[in-house]
Formats: sequence, structure tokens, C-alpha cells
Amino acid sequence: MNTLEFENVTKRYGHEVVVDDLTFTVRPGRVTGFLGPNGAGKSTAMKILLDLAKADHGRATIAGKRYREMPNPARTVGVVLEPNAFHPGRTGRNHLRILADGAGIDPDRIAEMLDAVGLSHAADRHVGGYSLGMRQRLGLAAALLGDPPVLVLDEPGNGLDPQGIRWLRDLLRERAAAGGTVFVSSHLLAEVEHLADEIVVLNHGQLVTTGTLAALQQAGTSVRTDTADALTQLLRTDGASVHTGTEGELVVRGIGIAEIGDRACAAGIALHELSPQAGSLEELFLGWTSADNTPASNGADTSFASVATEPERQAVPL
Amino acid sequence: MTTMLRLVRAEIRKLTTTKLPWGFLAVLVVIAGLDAAVVAFATDMDGSKTFVATAADQQSLMAFAFNAMVGTSLFGAIAVSREYGHHTVVPMFLTSPRRTRAVLAQLIAVLVGGAVLALVGQALVVAGVALALPSTQHGFLVSAGDLARLFGATTFAGAIGATLGAGLGALIRNIGGAVTTAVLVVFVIPPLAVQLFSDAGSWIPTSLFAVISGTSPDVSLWAALLAIGAWALIPAAAGLVAVQRRDVA
Repeated sequence: MNTLEFENVTKRYGHEVVVDDLTFTVRPGRVTGFLGPNGAGKSTAMKILLDLAKADHGRATIAGKRYREMPNPARTVGVVLEPNAFHPGRTGRNHLRILADGAGIDPDRIAEMLDAVGLSHAADRHVGGYSLGMRQRLGLAAALLGDPPVLVLDEPGNGLDPQGIRWLRDLLRERAAAGGTVFVSSHLLAEVEHLADEIVVLNHGQLVTTGTLAALQQAGTSVRTDTADALTQLLRTDGASVHTGTEGELVVRGIGIAEIGDRACAAGIALHELSPQAGSLEELFLGWTSADNTPASNGADTSFASVATEPERQAVPL
Repeated sequence: MTTMLRLVRAEIRKLTTTKLPWGFLAVLVVIAGLDAAVVAFATDMDGSKTFVATAADQQSLMAFAFNAMVGTSLFGAIAVSREYGHHTVVPMFLTSPRRTRAVLAQLIAVLVGGAVLALVGQALVVAGVALALPSTQHGFLVSAGDLARLFGATTFAGAIGATLGAGLGALIRNIGGAVTTAVLVVFVIPPLAVQLFSDAGSWIPTSLFAVISGTSPDVSLWAALLAIGAWALIPAAAGLVAVQRRDVA
């Protein structure tokens, strides 16, 4: 089972904590989206998983092993990490030849992969003349070269045209359906919504939430009241995440609908609406990562962590 | 094929699939042409060609080892530091996350590349001089044995220079910085060392390659080989250690 596991991973650069006590699991047979605003620590977390960066604390493993302990990692894990990790004066075909040489991959796979990503026509051109989308396709061809059961992809859709996005989505879903482990970071939320079975959300290096996308999208409560400030303060004291929705309503996560009603009643706050909310991923994402919802500002650090470590038992985002 | 051999093969392919070696080869052709022009057109102060009159003179003129070391140190520095500049070190360490192995494979490939470039350079210089000598009253006087020693010394110098440059490339990771440092190490540090310690004169690359090429008896051949080896191995070892410790940005 090619499960990816992050266990209490922490990474600092100087005094800045880039990844903060990160614990979550990425399971095979599903596409797991890895979300977070710029600078949230997604790429650093992926680099730690791939032994390109050292964690100051904790460990990240693939099928129970560190990446560097795998006998032939390039044939187990396909990676897209840097969009420009090519020598501009080298041809696309030669880039793949080098990777095939190093990993002992059958050279016949090179033509197959170039064909699969639609780059056969440009295979013998210098990569410096490629568009961003073509470089991204070459990166995907490199990731798939060893036919790996695990894919770790950082923003693989960047620069791809709509046909490319569609192709990528179908490919990743096929891989997951065949039992592969697909861990993909993206800032294209609509794309992730179409693609991912589960998501992991980071903000300021900390895990904000993780769970199945379907459950998370149902997990908020929409509340309307004339005394929003008082209710917000009350619910945040109880560890809930509260932010204002697009129509002025309060969107509450991390506390059950009945409990919200009970707390409001006990505090003498009249509610005009109390209903389950099925938000779009974009709304949810903005709620999870908004400035007033950072762990430091809402004092909910511990509850973030507790949800994060037990996604199955409590598929409720905080 | 073992993992190490696979990695070395990949690294050699890296070197041969860009214009870098061809650029250096073009420089070697120019140098050989200049040597030939010197033999054909230059004269001593008295208008004679006594600077190519003896076998020793011709051997000194053709001794290419120090030049080879300079050139291949730049070759090694560029070949390795560009990996960091172009981020191609990312797929390199993903293919071989055991970085010692990956960097050793890279050092071996660059060493071989440097040795081959130096050998080709020496062959071009010898050919240039040999072709130019008939335009003088002197024939080609260097014996086959001395010629073999010249080729051996230059090939060794190419390997040493490339390893030195590769070590600096891994240490500094920036093409400009690595090239500048290589130039400093080869051109500035040796005369500075001689200024500070007069005994150091026998242990700087120019003196050591003169011994290895058979044009100077300053120190024993083995001492010269070991000393010049140290010039390359110290930066290579430093680069190897630095690569282990750093995150890949």
C-alpha cells in the first residue's frame, strides 16, 4: 500500500516556521488535493516528502519508507515539482533520456510518454523554446516515465490549455482508480473540485483541515442573526471557525448545528436562520484561509490539529 | 547495470547533450591554431627560430597541462553549477536521493569529460605544432616516449581541473561565482601562496604540471601527482559535504 504519511513534520528557515507540526495521510486509490494560499508551505512539505529538504522534526514516508530508502524511487514515485527544471539548451527527448538512463527505465518509454503528453512533434527541439504548457507536459512525461504507482505533483495544471487540463484530470483519475496514490497541489480550486476525492488544506504551514471533499462541503452551518459580533465571539470562544459568507450570513465550522442553536439560546441571541451549508470549494477555501481564520488569530490551534489527525472519525473542518 | 554506472551514464549524457563541450572544443581549436601560428611566424629577438630548435624546447612549447587544468576547471565549474541554476538538480536528486552517489557520479562524468577535452586539446596542439614546424628549418624532435608523457600529463591535468571546478560548482552553485572562484584558485591563490611562503613555489599547479610533463625536476613525480590531486580533491570533498547538508531550493 503506497500510503503517504506526514507525522508531526516541522520545518523552519531561520526563525520562520514554514511547516508546523504537520500530520496527515494520503491514501492510495484516491486523488488527494493539497491546497493552501501562496507561501502556505505546500511545496516545502512536498520537498520534505521527497527528501529534497530536511524536516527539523517529524518524518514523511511513502509506503512506510523515507524516499531516500526506496530502492528505485524514480520508478515508484512520479514527481512534478519545478516547472522549469530543464536545461534550456537540451531537447525534450534528451531530458527524458537522461532520466531513463539514471533510473534504468526502458528507453522505449520515452517515445510512449512523449506521445502520451502530446509532445512528439517538439521532442527534438530545445526546451528553451517551449511554452510553459509544453514544459509542464514534459514534466508530466518525466513523472510518468517509470510508470510509478505514486504521483506527487505540484501545480501540474499550470500553463496547460483546456484540453491539457482535461487530459490531466482523466489521467489522474485513471491512476487513482487503478489503485495509485495521487497527491496533487493546485491553486485552481474549480479544477480540484472536479478532480479530488479528498483534500488537505494548509495555511501558514499548519494543517487547517483534511477529509473527503464531499463531507467537507457539507460541513458548514449558515447562521443569520442581528447580533453577529456577539455570536461570532461566543462561538470562537468555543473553538469554532466563523467567517462572514458572501450574502452577509455567518458561516460556522467546527461545531455542530444543534450546539450552535443551544449556545445562542443560552446567551439570549436570537437566530433568524440556522441551516446546513453546502459551499463551493472556493468559498470553503477562502473561509479556511482568510486572515480572521488563521490559527494565531482565532485561538483554535489545538482544535485544528485534532481534526487534522482524525479525518475519518470527525470529518468536520475547523 | 549497477546504479552507479547508470548514474554516470546519465551524467555523461547530460554533458554531451548541450553545447558546453563543443564550446570548449572550439576554444581548444583556437589555442592549437595560435600555437601553430607562433611556430610558423614568431621568431626570437635575433630573428631565428631557436625557441623550437631542440626537443626540450618543442616539448615545453607543447606542454598543455596547466592550460588544460585552467580550461577544464571552468568546464567543471559550469557543468555542475548550472545544475543548480537550471534546477536540473531536482530530477537528479529525485532519481538518486542518496546524494553522495549522485554527486560522485557527476564528479566522475565531469572528470572523464575534462580528461577527454584535455586529451583532444593536447592532440590539437601537437598536430598544430607538427604541421607548422615544416615551415621552419627544424623538424619534429620530441620522442614518442616524451610525447606519451605529455599526453598523459595533460589528460591527468584535465581530469584534475574538471574535478576542482566541479567541486567549486557544487559548493557555490552559481555559474558566475563558481567560474570566478575557479579562476582565483588557479591563477590568484598560487602566486599569493608563493609570496607568503617561498617554499610553496614547488607545490603550485604550474610547477607540479611541469614535473608531471617532464619539463622540470623540481619534486618527485609521485609527490607532484599527490599534490596536484589534493588541489582537486579538497574542493571536490567540500562540495560533496555541502551537497549533503543543504536543502534543494
